[in-house]
Amino acid sequence: MPTSVTTARQFLTEEATRALDEAVAVARRRSHAQTTSLHAVSALLSLPSSTLRDALELCVGVSLDRLPSSKSVEDPPISNSLMAAIKRSQASQRRHPESYHLQQLHSSNNNNANANGCSQTQSILKVELRYFILSILDDPIVSRVFGEAGFRSCDIKLALVRPPVTQVSSRFSRAHCPPIFLCNLTDTVSGRVGYNLLFPGHEDGIDENCKRISEVMAKKSGKSPLLVGVCALEALRAFTESSTKGKSGILDGDLAGLMVMSIEKEVNELVIEGNEEKLGLKLKEVEATLEKCNESGGVRGVVVHFGDLKGLILDGVSGDFVSHLVLKLAGLMEAYRRRLWLMGAADSVEICRKFCDKFPDIEKDWDLQLLPITSSKSSFDGAYPKSSLMRSFVPFGGLFPTPSDLKGPLSGRNQSIPRCNLCNEKYEQEVDAIMKAGSTVSVADQYSENLPSWLRMAAVDTSKGEDVAKTNSGESMLSAKVLGLHKKWNDICQRLHRTPTFPKLDINASMSQVPTVEGPQFSTDLKQRSHGDLSVNGSLFPNQSPSRQIHMQKKFLPKSTASISCTSEGRNMNFHSGLHMDVPSLTQQTDKDMPWFHHPRQSLSSCSGRTHTPSSFVPPVTTDLKLGTIYASTCQESNTTKLLNHKEHLQHLSGSVSAEFDANSETTSYQFAQSSSCSGPTSGEQFDLGDYKSIRKVLAEKVGWQDDAVNSVSQAVSQLRHRYRSSRGINCKGDNWLTFLGPDRVGKKRIASALAEVLFGSQECLVSLDLSLQDKVDHPNSIFECEELNSYDVISRGKTVSDLIAEELRKKPHSVVLLENVDKADYGVQHSLDLAIRTGKFPDSRGREIGINNMVLITTSSITKGNINVICEKKGMKFPEERILGAKNWQMQILVVSASDDAAAGKSNYTGVRVTTVKEASTCTSANKRKLINAVESSEVEKTDTQEREHKVPRSCLDLNFPVEEADEDDTGSGQSKSELLSESSESWLEELLSQVYKKIYFKPFDFDGLANKIVKEMRLQCERRVGSGVALEIDEEVMVQMLAAAWFSDKKGALEDWVAKVLGRSFAEAGQKYNLTPQSVVKLVACEGGVVKEQAPGICLPAKINLN
Amino acid sequence: MGYNLLEALNVRVIGSGDRYLLLAHGLGTDQSVWQRILPLFTPSYRIILYDLACAGSVDPDYFDFSRYTSLHSYVDDLLNILKALGVDRCAYVGHSVSAMIGILASIRRPQLFSKLILIGASPRFLNDEDYHGGFELGEIEKVFSAMESNYEAWVNGFAPLAVGADVPTAVREFSRTLFNMRPDISLFVSRTVFNSDLRGVLGLVRVPCCVIQTARDVSVPASVAEYLRTHLGGRTTVEMLRTEGHLPHLTAPALLAQVLRRALAR
Repeated sequence: MPTSVTTARQFLTEEATRALDEAVAVARRRSHAQTTSLHAVSALLSLPSSTLRDALELCVGVSLDRLPSSKSVEDPPISNSLMAAIKRSQASQRRHPESYHLQQLHSSNNNNANANGCSQTQSILKVELRYFILSILDDPIVSRVFGEAGFRSCDIKLALVRPPVTQVSSRFSRAHCPPIFLCNLTDTVSGRVGYNLLFPGHEDGIDENCKRISEVMAKKSGKSPLLVGVCALEALRAFTESSTKGKSGILDGDLAGLMVMSIEKEVNELVIEGNEEKLGLKLKEVEATLEKCNESGGVRGVVVHFGDLKGLILDGVSGDFVSHLVLKLAGLMEAYRRRLWLMGAADSVEICRKFCDKFPDIEKDWDLQLLPITSSKSSFDGAYPKSSLMRSFVPFGGLFPTPSDLKGPLSGRNQSIPRCNLCNEKYEQEVDAIMKAGSTVSVADQYSENLPSWLRMAAVDTSKGEDVAKTNSGESMLSAKVLGLHKKWNDICQRLHRTPTFPKLDINASMSQVPTVEGPQFSTDLKQRSHGDLSVNGSLFPNQSPSRQIHMQKKFLPKSTASISCTSEGRNMNFHSGLHMDVPSLTQQTDKDMPWFHHPRQSLSSCSGRTHTPSSFVPPVTTDLKLGTIYASTCQESNTTKLLNHKEHLQHLSGSVSAEFDANSETTSYQFAQSSSCSGPTSGEQFDLGDYKSIRKVLAEKVGWQDDAVNSVSQAVSQLRHRYRSSRGINCKGDNWLTFLGPDRVGKKRIASALAEVLFGSQECLVSLDLSLQDKVDHPNSIFECEELNSYDVISRGKTVSDLIAEELRKKPHSVVLLENVDKADYGVQHSLDLAIRTGKFPDSRGREIGINNMVLITTSSITKGNINVICEKKGMKFPEERILGAKNWQMQILVVSASDDAAAGKSNYTGVRVTTVKEASTCTSANKRKLINAVESSEVEKTDTQEREHKVPRSCLDLNFPVEEADEDDTGSGQSKSELLSESSESWLEELLSQVYKKIYFKPFDFDGLANKIVKEMRLQCERRVGSGVALEIDEEVMVQMLAAAWFSDKKGALEDWVAKVLGRSFAEAGQKYNLTPQSVVKLVACEGGVVKEQAPGICLPAKINLN
Repeated sequence: MGYNLLEALNVRVIGSGDRYLLLAHGLGTDQSVWQRILPLFTPSYRIILYDLACAGSVDPDYFDFSRYTSLHSYVDDLLNILKALGVDRCAYVGHSVSAMIGILASIRRPQLFSKLILIGASPRFLNDEDYHGGFELGEIEKVFSAMESNYEAWVNGFAPLAVGADVPTAVREFSRTLFNMRPDISLFVSRTVFNSDLRGVLGLVRVPCCVIQTARDVSVPASVAEYLRTHLGGRTTVEMLRTEGHLPHLTAPALLAQVLRRALAR
C-alpha cells in the first residue's frame, strides 16, 4: 500500500523534504506509478549540494528507464520500500540523541501535522537528509544499481558518515558502550575502540562448527567430541580436512600441535570385510605417535577420528570386532589421557543411543561429549559469496577493506592473511616461544581438577559457569599476549610491506575479527571456551542429584526418557492415588449427570458429529436421575427425546472434549471428559469427507453400538488415507497407529477387521493377537474360542511373543494389526513396540526388523487412563463384560417343573419371566441337585441391590458340591484388582506408547443389560405365543450370559432375535406339547454344564436345538 | 555488561506472578508481535520479552555479521539474558526461528526451562529424502534472489502468504515489522535459518515440549509437527490450532492464548 506524499513529508526535515519532493517530481516526470528509493537517489544526485557523484546519475537514469511507466499521477505515491527506508532512518536517528534534541524543536513547530493518521502521539522525529540517504542506500534496488555502476552503497555511506563517526565513537566509549555479547569479553572490549559498527565485515573465518569442536576439545575436561546432527559428518570432514591441510586456525591454542589421524577407512574395512589387520596396524601407528609426542615438541597429541558411528552398529556387523575396537580405543584413551582425542559423527541421537545401548560404558571409556551440529558451514559458504549484493548490503562492509579485498578477487578463504609470509613466520616463532611457557600453565590448570568430569559438570552447571572465568584467567593472560603479538606483527607487516594501501584502521578491524586471520586465535578461543563450558556441560545431562549423575555415567543417555522418567513416575503415582480417591465421586456424578453414559445404544450420534466449536468447557448436562437408570426400559423413549433436547449442550461438551483430546492432559477433570468420551472430530486436519463417510458406513454396519468410536476411527483412517495420497503425505512414525481404549473387546475387534476390509480389501488382512493370553488360563469351550478369536497359543510354544508378532507381520505385510490388551505386554514386546512406533520397524527378539509402514497398527487396552471407565461400568451393571467374555458354549435345556416344587423360591404365585442364578451341580440330568440361589425379577429389576446380591450371595451360600474356582471366576472384581496390580513401570510405558500413537479412540461399554432386557421381552413374547400366557418362564443366568455373548459376537444383525423366534420358539412349542403346562408350571431354560453344543444355529453361536428333559 | 545486552535487545520483564514466561518472537517480527497475547498472561506470569538481534527494533549496528552465522549465537544471547536477569527457570514460548533457538538452548541448559512451547516450529525447512520440510533448495534460492532484487515486492508478496489467514491488520503488522528489518540482515538471517538442521539433535531435548501447529502454514507442513513430536526427546504433545497461517499470535491471539494457557498448566 503506497503512502501519500504528504504523509511521508511529515517525517522529514526541510532539506530532506526537498529531496523527497524532487524524487516525486522525477517519478512524475517519468510517469511512474510510485516514487521509489531510486527516484530519491536520482533526486539526490540532482541536488546542487549532492554528495553523490555524476557517474551515478547515469546509472540511476538507466535503471529508471527500465521501470515500467503508467498513467501519470499527480504525485506518484511513496512506495513501501522508500517509506520503510524513511522509517529506518527515523529509527537510526532516534538512536543518536544528539541530533534528537534538534529534531524536537522541529516537531513542536509542526505538531498540527500529526493528526494525519500518524500513530505517534507525541512528536514526529524529522529525519535529516544524512540519515535519509543512509537508509535509502540500504534499499536493494538502489544498492543493485550502485553495484552495477561499480560502487558499493557502503562506500558512499562511508563518505557520508565519516564526519559523524568520530563524534559518535567518542560518545559511545563514554556513556553508551555497545552491547557486550559473549564474543566480546574482556580484552577485546578494550581492543574494540568505539563504534562497533565499524567492524561488522563478514569475513569467512573459520567454520563455526570447527570452532565449536575445538571448544569441546580444548576445555579442561578435554572431551572427545561426538558430533550429532544431520550435517555432523560433513562438519567432521571439514574439521579434519582443514586441520590436516594447514595449521590454519583450527587446532590452536591448547590444541596447537595436535595431529589428526583417521581410522575411518580401516574401521570400514573391519566392519565390512572383517579385516582386522589393517586396523591393528593403524592403531599401532597411533600408539607410536602418542608415545613420541611426549618427547618432541612437534606433535602434542593425536586426534583419532573414526568417522560415522553408524558404521559400528550396522546390522551385519559382527559384534566381536566392534567391541574389540571399542576396548582397544578405550585402552588407548586410558593410557594417553589429555593427549588422545577421539572424534566421530552420528546422524542422529538415535544412533548414539543405539551405540550406547550396545556399549553402556562407552561414554566414560571414550570420554565422549555429544556436540549438536545444526548447520553445515559448507553449504553456507557455497551460497553466501554468490550474492555479490550481500556484500554491498553490509553497511560499512567496504569501509575497511577486508583482508581478502587486499588480495584481490583471487584470494580464497584460506589466503586471507593480513601479513606477508615473512612476518607471519616471525610471528609464529614468537608465539611458539610464548606458548611453551604458557602451555605449562594451562596443562597444570587442566590437571588441577581431578574431579570426575560428571561431577564437575554438575558443579559448573549449578554455578552457572561463573567459575569458568576464574579458572581461565591464566589462559586469558596467555591469549592476551598472543593477541598482542599478533597485533604487533600485523602492524609491522603493514608498515613495512604494504604501507600505502592499507588503512591504518585495519588493525582494529582485524583485532576484533580475529577469526579472519591465520594463526592462533586465543581471544576467540577464550571466549568460546568460557561459554562452551557452561553450555556444553548443560547440554547433555540434566543434572539432578549426584547419585543420578553417577548413574548416568554408567548408562550414558539410557533409554529415551531416562532423565524424565523418575520424576514422571513420581507424578504418575500421585496422579493415580488422587484418581482413586476421586473415582467414587466421579462415578456418582456420572450416574446422575450423564444418562447417556449408561445408554450407549442411544449414543449421541447426532451430537458426535462434526461440531467444531472449541468453546470453553460447559458444565456437564444435568438430566433427571430417573432417566439414568439402567433397566428403565419403559423410560427409554422419553429418554431419547430428552437427550435430543440436550443436544445443544452436548455439542458444546463434545467440542470441549475434542479440544482436550490431543492434550493428553493429566487432570482428572480432563480424564473424565475423555473417558466419557463424546469423541467428535478431534483435530482440524483435513480429510476427504466422502471417504470418511464411506468408511463410517462400513464400520457402522459391523458395529452398530459404538457410534462415537466409529466416527473417530473413520475420521482417523480417512485422514490417514488423505495424507498418504496427498503430496504432503509423509509417513511419520506413529502415524499409522491407533489405540482403542475402554471396554467392548468384540467391538474393537470387529472394527479392526472391518478396517482390514476397507483398507486392504479383505478381512483376511487382519493380524490379531491378544497380548494378555500368555498369562491367562485356557477356558475350554468358551464362546470366544468357538469364534476363533485367537489361534495363538497353539503355535506359540517356545517362541517369545514379539517373535510371534514378527512372524505374523512377515506373513501379511499389508494388513491391519490388532494387538489386544497391550497393557499386558511383556517386556520384550514393550521394547519392540517402542522401537516400532519410533522407527517404523518392528524388531523381533533377534533384532531383525520388519517394516510396518504399510500396515495399520491398532493397540487395544481395556483400561483407559486411570481406569475410570472400567470402574464406572462395573458399578451397577448386571452383566459386566468380563462375565460375558467368560461365557461358555453349553447345550441348553428346557425344564418344566410345577411351581409347588419350587416353593423354596417363595414366589409360587408369580407368573412372568425371571432371570435366575442357577448353579448346576454336575450335569443337566441331575436336575434335583441344582440349587436356586437367587432369583431376580427382570421386569421390575431394581438397580439398588442386584449387584450386592449377585456377588455376595453365591459366596455365602457356597455349596460344597461346587468347585470353588467357579464362584471366583464369576467375581467381576478380579479385573479391577488385576489392573491395579499393573506395575508402575509398565503403566508409564503404556502412557509413553500411547502418547505416540496417531489417535486414541475411546470405546463405550456394550450395553449388555439393555440387551438382556430386550431378550427377556422377546422370550416372554415367544413363550406366551407358543405355550400360552399363564406359564412362568425362568432363565438361568448362565444361559443369559451365553445368549448375550452370542449376540455380541454375532456378525448378523438380529441373529439373536431370529434364534429366539426359531429355535427357542420351536422348543417352547415342543415343551408345550410334551408336558401339560398349567399356570403352576414353570418353564426353565438352563445350561447343561459340560454338555457341548453339537449343532450350531446358523449365524450365531448358540445351539441349533434345545434339549427337553 | 549484562545491562547493556538487556538494553540492546530491548529486554522487558512485565507482569506479576512467581513464574517466568519467556516469549520469543520469530523471524520478521519483534516483541510487539505478542502484544495481543500479553494481557492474558501478565496477571499470572512474569513475562520476559526480548528482541532477537536481527529484529528491526534492534539497532542494526549491533548485528554482527561475523557472529550470527549460526543459531548458536542467538542461543548465547538468550542464555545471557536469562543469566543477566537472574532467572533460573522459566517456561519458554518460541515462534519459528525462536522455536529452534529454544530447542538448542534447552539442550544446553535443560534445567533452565520448565517447558518449551514451540509455535510454527520446524527442525529443518528444506526437504530431504524422507523428510518433508516444505521447501526445496531451488525454491529457496529463488526466494533469496527475489529478496535481493526487490525486497519491497518480496515483503508485499510474502507477508500475506506467511500470515495466511485473511486478517488485514495482521498482514499490515507483519509487513511493518518485516520492513523494519534491514533487508541485508533479514536475508542473512534467512540464510542462517534455512541452513540450520536440527533434526539430528532433537533427541537431546529433555524438556517437555508442546508443539503448536496451525491447520495450514506455508512455512511448516503439518507433518513437521508430527516429526517433532516423535523425535523430540522429552515428553511432547502436539496441539493443532484451528486457524491458518504462520503467525497465530497475530491472527488468532485468543485461540492461541487458550492453548498456551493449557500447555503451560500441564
